[in-house]
Amino acid sequence: MTTSTNGNSSFITRGAQKTILPNRMTIVTKELHFKPIVAAIIWYRVGSRNEELGQTGKSHFLEHMLFKGTDRYRKGEIDLVTLQNGGANNAFTWLDFTAYYFTFASDRWEQALEIEASRMRNTTFAEEEFQSEKQVVEEELRIGLDGPWEALENEVWAAAFRQHPYHWPTVGWLEDLESATAADMKAYYDKWYHPRNATLVLVGDFDTARALDRINTLLGPIPPGPEPPPMRIVEPTQRGEKRVTVKKETPVERLLIGYHTPAVGHADSFALHIAEAILSTGKTSRLYQRLVEQDSSVTTAKATYNDHIDPSLFYLQAELKPGYWLNQVERAIYEEIDRLNTEAVTEAEMEKAKRQIEAELVFSSEEFLQQAILLGQYETIAAGEHIPEPSRGYRYLDNFLDRIRAVSAEDVRRAASRYFSEDNRTVGYLINSDSESKEGA
Amino acid sequence: MNSVFARSDAPRGIRLDVERIEFPNGLVLLLSEDRSTPSISINAVVMAGSRYEGDAKAGLASLVGELIDEGTRARTSQQIAEEIEAVGARLATVGDYQVSGAHTIVLAKDFNTGLGIIGDVLMNATFPEDQVARQRDRRLAQIKSRLDVPRTLASDAFNEIIFRGTPRHRPPVGYEKSVSELTRDDAVDFYRRFFVPNNTLLAIVGDFRTADIIREVEQTFGEWQRDTRFELPALPRPTGQTAPREKFIRAPKEQVNIFIGHLGVERTNEDYYVLLVMDTILGSSPGFTSRIPRILRDEQGLAYSTFSNITSSAGLDAGRFVAYIGTAPGNLDLAREGLRREIERITREPVTPDEIESAKSYLTGNFVFDFQTNSQVAGFLIDAEVYHLGFDYLQKYPDLIRAVTIEDIARVAERHIHPEALTTVVVGPVSDG
Repeated sequence: MTTSTNGNSSFITRGAQKTILPNRMTIVTKELHFKPIVAAIIWYRVGSRNEELGQTGKSHFLEHMLFKGTDRYRKGEIDLVTLQNGGANNAFTWLDFTAYYFTFASDRWEQALEIEASRMRNTTFAEEEFQSEKQVVEEELRIGLDGPWEALENEVWAAAFRQHPYHWPTVGWLEDLESATAADMKAYYDKWYHPRNATLVLVGDFDTARALDRINTLLGPIPPGPEPPPMRIVEPTQRGEKRVTVKKETPVERLLIGYHTPAVGHADSFALHIAEAILSTGKTSRLYQRLVEQDSSVTTAKATYNDHIDPSLFYLQAELKPGYWLNQVERAIYEEIDRLNTEAVTEAEMEKAKRQIEAELVFSSEEFLQQAILLGQYETIAAGEHIPEPSRGYRYLDNFLDRIRAVSAEDVRRAASRYFSEDNRTVGYLINSDSESKEGA
Repeated sequence: MNSVFARSDAPRGIRLDVERIEFPNGLVLLLSEDRSTPSISINAVVMAGSRYEGDAKAGLASLVGELIDEGTRARTSQQIAEEIEAVGARLATVGDYQVSGAHTIVLAKDFNTGLGIIGDVLMNATFPEDQVARQRDRRLAQIKSRLDVPRTLASDAFNEIIFRGTPRHRPPVGYEKSVSELTRDDAVDFYRRFFVPNNTLLAIVGDFRTADIIREVEQTFGEWQRDTRFELPALPRPTGQTAPREKFIRAPKEQVNIFIGHLGVERTNEDYYVLLVMDTILGSSPGFTSRIPRILRDEQGLAYSTFSNITSSAGLDAGRFVAYIGTAPGNLDLAREGLRREIERITREPVTPDEIESAKSYLTGNFVFDFQTNSQVAGFLIDAEVYHLGFDYLQKYPDLIRAVTIEDIARVAERHIHPEALTTVVVGPVSDG
């Protein structure tokens, strides 16, 4: 077992400690004693990114199956144990990862370890459980289809990514789900659910030495598992704008524009986080000022940029007010994008964006679970060899804010002009299926 | 069950030292220090909301909530946003069903900025004509977009039936017609009438010294004049329905959304804690342990989302008893019957000893998670004041839950759940009716 403690670091990682068990499982612990609770979250480095066409949605489906029974916990018993101990549990799957969490009072949190130790390798995949859960997952997918944004998001990402698995949504395509079998699920589980591909994060009121001891007892004996297969698919550079139209019966038209942007760890990613804040955080943000205040053409507009293992999309969304035209709003957004691409952002705006990013991190760290999520997420996604060893994994957060603070107005302009170009974008319109595509003057 | 062991004792408690100060102008200040993160949550609550607007003005409180930070005597809308966002904070202003107000979280060093802005929007909002027009238009579009979500559409239709004749039948955001007719004068009247210090609670929680905060609050709000004639209007009390009702609304969607239920209870109802345990057994618990999610989701695979509750909407006014499921259209009858069967069963059969013990363990053990963040604690302080819970509620709560018996649940289920008089609303690919 090797342990490294974090000394010189940010408030997020201060006191965090990383331990690698002999079976290659990663443990990140951070003691905090001001509330008598513990958040425990286990991450598997597998998400829809690791799936194949024709079998999409397996990562997410598997997440559901991990609540449906193991050799030790009957179906429903994981939830029952959580309930009886006054805890909470849930799980989430995204492009790059699948994670399962518990929050418990600190005198009983070790229940979480017992459960994770059991379901990492001993989930049962009973056929009848699989069939009934398949219906549940299909219902979850239908909620998405009925939502106002998902249909448009799915089409834009599918168009933007021609060959990389970010092409499909995490929940998968309905047709793939319908043809999935319990045997597929078990094979996928056997491929990815092993200590070598897992990180357990604990944040809260526990004693590290005792916790590691218990972890060693419960999870230490599990064999490391096979080397996870590498994901080698690279999305080629987009050469020319792509456009999609989605028709849906809706009283409100929507617009989504996505630009290919680099992965976590890329030098430009910090400038892009700042660009996101400048465009969309708060009422002084540029999209709000332009589209809500000045043009009054939308109810909401926002920009989103997330760190992912592979290059993904920086995307902008707008929900139109009745009587306004999609192409006019699109044009207004490009004017704001052009400003970012050509003019230096003012020092006041730079300063504000940096403070907003920092403050959000402070505010979200009030909850132990949020801290555990942040640490685990970066331990899982910032693992690539392109990231220098000292800031790999959760230690990416050591100097994340320093890197944000170091971004200059010129860095933002340069990054914006590099990625926010016509040839690099995919534009999606959601229009009412009753109407013809509208053209404004 | 195997070696897993359930405890009924509550986890180690959390301490909450609360200071309550009532200023001469009637403003009530609630303070609790917590140094665990260098931040402070400021939550200002005015005890007024859409419950005090008539149907013709539906959406007024909500619009006022949207407008209080769109210009004050001292600052333009732009200046307010710039000042608060320059310190990395965000200001949320709100006009909801029973309360209005403003909330912000600031880094401790920026407390004065946060308090100054909150004070300004509570006392000095000017409702500039152009902002009123802009936010009213935006709200009209939001009303359309909101009803694009089938679950919201179904929930609104359900409320219209079960709360008929009372203010709670309206969506707080209002209707297209009523909102389109709201004027600046309406907003100013509502603000002048209700935004007075003797109708306001201010909860501040986080990294500070109490004495400093009291001084700052006194400086900020000291000049705010008490309205000596102020009183809250009386509201009609709802009466529960006595016969079943059904409404089907056609929407071209993949799922049907079903709401079943009826009028619920007030937060101060003497049966509230028994109902909380009942909710946990019937349809509200983590995971899928309670009856409705366990049977309809986990066993029958009918839904991703299905639940029931009566306590979560209990407020100053009676809330709703509601059971929900979203499912494929082909499952409509099965799902509706499943919900009805469980609703009826809870009123007829006693719950099992295992069910009640598990529910009580959960409620007593999970309580600590309601006090993790400064904003959660501030919200609790407001609730404690509004519902007279007492600041020793943290100590009392576990005993209130532990005292609940199987017989209590049978008694309150019979009193508050009425399977013979359920309203059912269905939204999806069905025929209107």
